[in-house]
Amino acid sequence: MQTREEKIISGKGIYVDDIVMPNMAYCLFVGSAYAHANIKKIDLQQALSLPGIITILTGKEILEAMNPLPPTFGSSDWLWRTPIVYPLVLDKARFYGEPIAAVIAESPDIASDAANLIDIEYDPLEPVVDLTKAIEPASPLLYEEWGDNIQIHKKVEFGDVQRSFEEADRILKVSWRENRASGFPIEARGCVAFYDKMTEILNVWSSTQSPSRAQYYLAQALKLPMTRVKITMADVGGGFGNKLNWWKETVVALAAILIGRPVKWVESKREFIVTGPHQRDVLWKGEVAIKNDGTILGIRAKLLVDLGVESTCREGAARTLAPACQAIPNAYHLKGLEVDVYGVVTNKSFYGAYRGFGKDKGIKFMERIVQMTARELHMDPVQIRKKNLIQKEEFPYEQITGYVYDSGNYEALLEKALELGNLPYWEKEKQKRREQDRYLGVGIGITVEPAGLGTSTNALTMARVRMTPDGLIEVEAGQPDIGQGSTITRRKIAADILGVKMDHIEVKRDNSDMVFTAVFSSRGAVYPTSALAKAAKLLRQRIISFAADFLNESPSNLDIKESVVYSKTSHKEITFKELARKAYFSPGPIGLGTEKKINHEVVLDVSATWFSPNTARHPKSTYTTFCAGVDLVVLEIDKHTGQVNILKYVHVHDAGTVIDENIVDGQIYGGIMQGIGEALYEELVYNQKGELLSNSYSDYLIPTTLDSPNVIVEHLCTPSPFTELGTKGMGEAPIIGSKVAVINAIEDALSPLGIVVTESPATPERIRGWILESKEEVE
Amino acid sequence: MQVPINTRINQRSYELEVDARTTLLDLLREKLDLKSVHRGCEEGECGACTVLLNGKPVCSCLVLSPQINGAEVLTVEGLMKDGNMHPLMKAFVENYAMQCGYCTPGMVMTSYYLINTWDDFTEEDIRKGLEGNLCRCTGYTNIIRAIREAKKYKDAGYWW
Ligand code: FES
Ligand code: FES
Repeated sequence: MQTREEKIISGKGIYVDDIVMPNMAYCLFVGSAYAHANIKKIDLQQALSLPGIITILTGKEILEAMNPLPPTFGSSDWLWRTPIVYPLVLDKARFYGEPIAAVIAESPDIASDAANLIDIEYDPLEPVVDLTKAIEPASPLLYEEWGDNIQIHKKVEFGDVQRSFEEADRILKVSWRENRASGFPIEARGCVAFYDKMTEILNVWSSTQSPSRAQYYLAQALKLPMTRVKITMADVGGGFGNKLNWWKETVVALAAILIGRPVKWVESKREFIVTGPHQRDVLWKGEVAIKNDGTILGIRAKLLVDLGVESTCREGAARTLAPACQAIPNAYHLKGLEVDVYGVVTNKSFYGAYRGFGKDKGIKFMERIVQMTARELHMDPVQIRKKNLIQKEEFPYEQITGYVYDSGNYEALLEKALELGNLPYWEKEKQKRREQDRYLGVGIGITVEPAGLGTSTNALTMARVRMTPDGLIEVEAGQPDIGQGSTITRRKIAADILGVKMDHIEVKRDNSDMVFTAVFSSRGAVYPTSALAKAAKLLRQRIISFAADFLNESPSNLDIKESVVYSKTSHKEITFKELARKAYFSPGPIGLGTEKKINHEVVLDVSATWFSPNTARHPKSTYTTFCAGVDLVVLEIDKHTGQVNILKYVHVHDAGTVIDENIVDGQIYGGIMQGIGEALYEELVYNQKGELLSNSYSDYLIPTTLDSPNVIVEHLCTPSPFTELGTKGMGEAPIIGSKVAVINAIEDALSPLGIVVTESPATPERIRGWILESKEEVE
Repeated sequence: MQVPINTRINQRSYELEVDARTTLLDLLREKLDLKSVHRGCEEGECGACTVLLNGKPVCSCLVLSPQINGAEVLTVEGLMKDGNMHPLMKAFVENYAMQCGYCTPGMVMTSYYLINTWDDFTEEDIRKGLEGNLCRCTGYTNIIRAIREAKKYKDAGYWW
């Protein structure tokens, strides 16, 4: 049997762009030339007269057929303002590139020719592009009816903040800015929509990360019952959260219904970046209560987040603000925490999910605080960490923010990283390299990664495992494979538990027929894995009990290996093939024991659901497992060019029980690379007019082979008591820890110059600027 | 404007009429159904569309169809033999060198060229040679590992 990987590498993968259907039409979106403008007139006449143009949709046309985009699932204690959003501009464009029209044509070329002929008359308004200015009373407004540009404001308090400040020896002021960035996988978004008249079902093949969510949004937007909408996943060329949003697709599907033909939309890389989900873009200002011995007692912070045009309708990433606050205490004891959070709207593309989903923000802030505390007290950051770390005997540990950490040994992770990092050697190197105008620095980032979100639909997970009449096993568990290896891991889990040969297991392609299927929140090793393990164990029991009846043996006497059920004491055995034949055909249920028939346990088809016992008992612990990573980086900076060169990289990880170490390592390598990119180069830059300047891979610099360090990876294991197999969700810690470790290392390297890094990415130009402004004379 | 061309693609000769504006990427994907050639950026920045043109890697999104007149083109489909994966592809799979797989066929083509061109190479050489092929998933680590392993296959005579 050909595996997913073999199929794809042979060029037989079917990504959305590979789908061809008879009579297919093509959709192209035309975006606003201004970041903020009222639309006075749209003249389609010339474009419509072009041969090969089927139709052109604008806000006016979709208004009758559609509901506004449904707000994505919220949470009861984080209430945000919800604007009325349609996927095409109705009267006012609110970001550069916001779709105004959708051209439907016989070919992509004709669509693009027609797009050039659409005449749009704008009445430009002053754009809101600066996060801090956006909340000043004089700022122009995106949504006049709101009276300001704040989509969400909330003050959260955990523990005893006041006491922590009373007990402090000193108060440290901190500031930390992460600029706008996102994932932008090599494959952009796309879908093919086709209304099937026979089944009366709207079928969409999509590059989405969640067919279940897509089904809900599409049905709501197009006023259809969900049962009439079916979403099937094509092969997906990377997601990282960037393919959870679902809004342009509603227009493509509407067009397919209107013209009665399949319609395909695959966006260009520029369209993806300009109208895609953006992330990060946070500004922290805080005060930290510390003791002279290095204890960090409490934090008071103000957090501003640039949500762009909005983040509740195109996607619900406004909710990332909650974990941004709750994740702050990270691996440490903390007595009190207060955050005053502002989610601010500006004339930029919408805020969406990207690996890290908010928790990254709090963790990076904390790891910056640790570094700045060390500097304030003239102590080693390692010492500060050790002083404040949660100890291995304290698990399960209830963090002041409500998260209940399942298990861990953070000190052991740190020790291992230090050992592998061989820091004494690098300390000696520091001096040597200074003489050659190179600054060497060491940085560490600890990450406790909350994984497996358990709110609303996120947690409705079901798995189904069955033996088909030919004796093979089919597995269904809501965990689509977008490259994170879930086909391999699902197969391994089922093979292990059932005692089946790997190639006797088929993993079903994910679609919206299943209860809930999605890739996000590193939930794979939490929800779907646990549900699947439960279902597989049940099926195993049933297989053994069937075999017991057919072989006339006691179930406790039987075991399974290589798809054969065998007796441990006699020579009796039965292959899965034979067992299935007997169970399904002859003797069928008749051959089974009376008990089984009375209990209706006559089919080799089992489903199981799973919910986190952690979240069940502690609703504030919205996440179930907390894997941990320590990133340690040694780098040097060329004083004259500001160029950063990574000399050594260590990552020590604890994801509990690991199903496939190669898959986990792959997530680590990839995450680290993205974090390094974010730390050093990746930045979405808007100009004063609100135009996105970094709108292609030549300006939005994602790392190449030349940027990738040799990473030393080491695993420690503290199994989670909360999941079925002791596994922990993983995949996000590396992008978080790597970014902040690199920033901490840069600051360490530049410490002889008294530089405090307050902004990322630390591009060569920025570093050069800091050096020039610093105390030391640079020739 | 339609232009007649003679070309060899994956060891097969073709006489085609192509639109002068059509890129090689579109010709391969849309006309010849060679879907291993992936559309990434269409601006020469990502390498997802890499094929070998007269044995050298090119971004097929930057090549116009008439340019392949008289030339030889190779894609991943042409690297396969009797439906079997090329040893290099096998090395990619065995070493977990692909995640989403979108960059993979392009990576394979560039790597194939590199391994065939160099008698011997260092990790630094691979890094320089693959600089034009972006991967957002793997951090490149396992790709580099796969290429080293593939070289062993080649040295052992398991290669074509
Ligand atoms: S698609 Fe050709 S280089 Fe990106
Ligand atoms: S494997 Fe996803 S881009 Fe390389």
